[in-house]
Amino acid sequence: MFADIIITSLINGSTYALLAIGFSLIFGVARIVNIAHTAFYMVAAFCIFFVTHHWGFHPIVGMLIAVPLVTLLGMVTYGIFIAPIREHEAAVLIGTIALAMALQEVMLLIFTGNYRSVPPLVQGYFTIIGVKVFYQQLITFVAALVILGALRLLLMKTRLGLAIRSTAQDREVANLMGMNESRVALYTVGISIALAGFTGAVIVPLTIVEPFMWLHPLIMMMAVVVLGGLGSIKGSFVAAYILGFAEAAVVFLIPMGAFLKGSVALSIMILVLLIRPEGLFGIVFEEER
Amino acid sequence: MDLIRYYIRKFFKLIKTEVFVLPSRMIVLLFFLMLLALPLITDDPYSLRILILTSIFAIFAASWDLLSGFTGQMNFGHALFFGVGAYGAALLNLHFHIPPWASIPLGALAAVLAGLIIGIPCLRLRGTYLALTTLAFPIILMGIVFAIPEVTGGELGISGIDRLVRSRVAQYYITVIVMVVLVTVMWKITDSNIGIIFHAIREDEVAVRASGINTTRYKLMAFCLSGFFAGMAGGLYAHFMRIAGPSTLEVSMSFQVVIWAVFGGVVTIWGPVGAVFILFPLLEFFRFWPEYRMLLFAIVILLILLFMPQGLLVWIRDKIESECPRCKIRNVATRKNCRICDASMH
Amino acid sequence: MKNLKLLLVFFLAFFLITTLCFPAWGAKTIKIGVIGPMQFVQGKGHWNGAVMAAEEINAKGGVKVGDKMMKIELVKADSNEFLNVTDATNAMERLMSRDRVDFVIGGFRSEAVLAMQDIAMEYKKIFIGCGAAHNKLCTRVAEDYDTYKYFFRGTPINSSFLVRTSFIQMATVAGIMKAKLGIPKIRVAVVAEKAMWADPLIPACKGFIPKLGHEISGIWRPSPVATDVMAELSAIQRANTHIILTFFSSSVGIPFARQAGELKIPAALVGINVEAQKDGFWQATQGQGNYVMTLNTYNRDVEPTELTKPFIDKYVKRFGETPTYTANTYSVITYNIVPVIEMTGTLDADRLVKVMETREYLDAAGKTGYMKDDQGRHLHDLKWGPGYQTSIGTQWQDGKQVGVWPYKWKASKDAPEVTYKGVVPYKIAPWIAEAYKK
Repeated sequence: MFADIIITSLINGSTYALLAIGFSLIFGVARIVNIAHTAFYMVAAFCIFFVTHHWGFHPIVGMLIAVPLVTLLGMVTYGIFIAPIREHEAAVLIGTIALAMALQEVMLLIFTGNYRSVPPLVQGYFTIIGVKVFYQQLITFVAALVILGALRLLLMKTRLGLAIRSTAQDREVANLMGMNESRVALYTVGISIALAGFTGAVIVPLTIVEPFMWLHPLIMMMAVVVLGGLGSIKGSFVAAYILGFAEAAVVFLIPMGAFLKGSVALSIMILVLLIRPEGLFGIVFEEER
Repeated sequence: MDLIRYYIRKFFKLIKTEVFVLPSRMIVLLFFLMLLALPLITDDPYSLRILILTSIFAIFAASWDLLSGFTGQMNFGHALFFGVGAYGAALLNLHFHIPPWASIPLGALAAVLAGLIIGIPCLRLRGTYLALTTLAFPIILMGIVFAIPEVTGGELGISGIDRLVRSRVAQYYITVIVMVVLVTVMWKITDSNIGIIFHAIREDEVAVRASGINTTRYKLMAFCLSGFFAGMAGGLYAHFMRIAGPSTLEVSMSFQVVIWAVFGGVVTIWGPVGAVFILFPLLEFFRFWPEYRMLLFAIVILLILLFMPQGLLVWIRDKIESECPRCKIRNVATRKNCRICDASMH
Repeated sequence: MKNLKLLLVFFLAFFLITTLCFPAWGAKTIKIGVIGPMQFVQGKGHWNGAVMAAEEINAKGGVKVGDKMMKIELVKADSNEFLNVTDATNAMERLMSRDRVDFVIGGFRSEAVLAMQDIAMEYKKIFIGCGAAHNKLCTRVAEDYDTYKYFFRGTPINSSFLVRTSFIQMATVAGIMKAKLGIPKIRVAVVAEKAMWADPLIPACKGFIPKLGHEISGIWRPSPVATDVMAELSAIQRANTHIILTFFSSSVGIPFARQAGELKIPAALVGINVEAQKDGFWQATQGQGNYVMTLNTYNRDVEPTELTKPFIDKYVKRFGETPTYTANTYSVITYNIVPVIEMTGTLDADRLVKVMETREYLDAAGKTGYMKDDQGRHLHDLKWGPGYQTSIGTQWQDGKQVGVWPYKWKASKDAPEVTYKGVVPYKIAPWIAEAYKK
């Protein structure tokens, strides 16, 4: 039983971590709550479905096509619709909601509302400490760690990473120091959406592809990011596993109440916020208080 | 008799000096007159139905603006109040046989309680944290609704509730008049001392606290007031549709109200009201292209946001009126000199 | 500037007025409103079935009403009920007051149909529900006959009968497994999605399954839209389950079947799995949903009555897929509404209701008759049983959906055996046989 819970929470947690890291990055740097983040994840999923189902290629090919496509789409829509109104927070919020709705409707038009699925990168499963695990789930877990490592490398060791970090800390001073703040924001958006696309590629074989699939991960992702603290990537990572664990515990310990797992996770988030309003590792700046 | 004539004369003078001078107030007046006069032109139940629903959602949107626009507490879970108001009125009506005109305010009071319950944890949260936390509450409530279906009717909701009155036209008038009254009350609140404090809290809470005002009390008051009005909207909705279901708690309902309010212009009460009256019939109008309906809706919003990020109605108002630089009173934009202080307007 | 002000007022007024002023169309046709979630397969089924029926009848000259011939005009209404119940009620109201339809058929989501039913009853128009199974829709008719008498259930059989049929199908599979694999005591896992229609099933299962001589290995309630059910499946396997009795109406049916197949869980899936009824199920489960059995209404090879094959053939030829049960709108128009109009010679709803509620007729799904409750009041609900509608059981066998029930089924000890034409024997999944052939 406990083995089940641990394994399941690791896998669920990795899923949420992959999504939350991208979201947290955009928020930390560009201060944009990108509600359309999971919508791009959905677009990537549909791309892969299209490539594997209609053209018959292996999902890896789908991934290689989908990720750049989605990144391009994200950067273009950001440039047209969001960048001009960045100063108005409320408008940005609505703008991303409307963008997500528009993407959903376009997918609905092209693919209709029927449920689809995508074949896994690696078929089959194996058993570890008595628990059956799909190879695809293992890939998810490994991918989360790899991405975190790669991101850390990017942020710590490269110049772009330095620019991103300083823009996240203080936008105006970074601008004064000669970094083109809006360009950095654009790159961050690109990286974040690429992450969303990559997540889609990795997770999608485990779930159903349909135009409304972006709503549920959105809620959980936001819960994770808030719990971990906005702007803190390490926080999102840790919080993802905490909430994954909470969900797994609910499903295994209360089989009749499996549908409550979302509510329980959200309640935990609220309880933590009561005690620590910035989330676990959140960074709050004085001028934002 | 003389007294009545006096009051009538005073009323007309008031209208002449206060209302006719500004185009925006003229529009509001005309708008209300048209709303009230509509059933005289047509008694098509479908159109009346659309307008009744629009009025209900207008109350809902205005209540969001009261909380999130004025006080700056971004509330992404406003559907919670709507749902609690709807379910409250429905349960009271079904189990205790309380008539609608009492069950709706009582349902609204239940929503006030909900406002208190979520206001307290939200006191320490700011900005995006607050927004995302409030998003969680209706979802948790929906989980509870599904967990006790014997009481709440699960995903079927509670059905078989009384309607307000028998005739559609009477329903229309009741709803429209209630909307006018409630929106006016909300507007008056924002115009009063309390409203100023709300606005100040949005701008700079530390300064307000430094002035000696207990911001906690005012923030909780904002939650409760907003909850009350949203709960009234919920109760009206339940009694009109005769069913109160989990669809009143959905995330899309919360998002809708934010879209309406921002589209119309936050930090005004009339902005969201106008936006609902434009967008809701528009969405129904788009019924002709059922596949493209939501897409067109989303594109309309994106375009408006691009060109008028302050909100459509605020943009329109700024085009037809401008402020006098000296006395800050609003004037028609075509005037050369301010109507009060006679200073040049440019 | 003044012009701008005027323009603005005009603009606002324009929007209000456009939604009002639309010409009423001429009324020499019988208008039937078809309401459903048109963006989804259920609504498409509603519409397609109705279109087929209307075209056939109009090609023959129309409907004889008294001494004149009237054609059928269909009005499509997208209720969008999956996403927005308000939209559904608006659509119904529009059909009633703007389009002035004479009949309404369709509806799917029970929450929305309850609200839509109220509206149609207010306008006293006959509403035949083609998709919602909830009992309440018909108990309302018994409790308040004068208001609700215009409602009839067209399809499916109500929830209680659906459950009874799935118990029977489960018992059949249990019998086969016991006989072929020599399992002494069959253990059944009950997996019902957390939805209201499934709530009464749990006590029903707890009472009924032991009576059949089987054991319940556990009860699980995943969310109707869950995408990962590994937890449930591991627990089910650990409980030594032989049969998994499923009650899924929503998307969870797909990942459940897929993951059970991928993990080669040694238990047979039987019960209600609405996703498994659709042609797209095989792709959606990546081919892992093999040997999944579910209750169903139509299958390309099974013929409950002689009217079934012509209907299915026409439908497949025209639309390229097997009809879902919502396409029963075809039967509702062709074998119910039109004949009753021709019999009574009128469109008057009250007289039509009187004839409809006592009439029994054959259609593509079985024989339709309407029942009364135990107090003798009209329920306008479909009768169930051999000779009436029983629905069928289908199983996925290697990429094809075949009918496997009723196959030599006896409704009671002395009843004759019933086997519909086109039904083939049930197959046990090879990995299940492997697991138990010790």
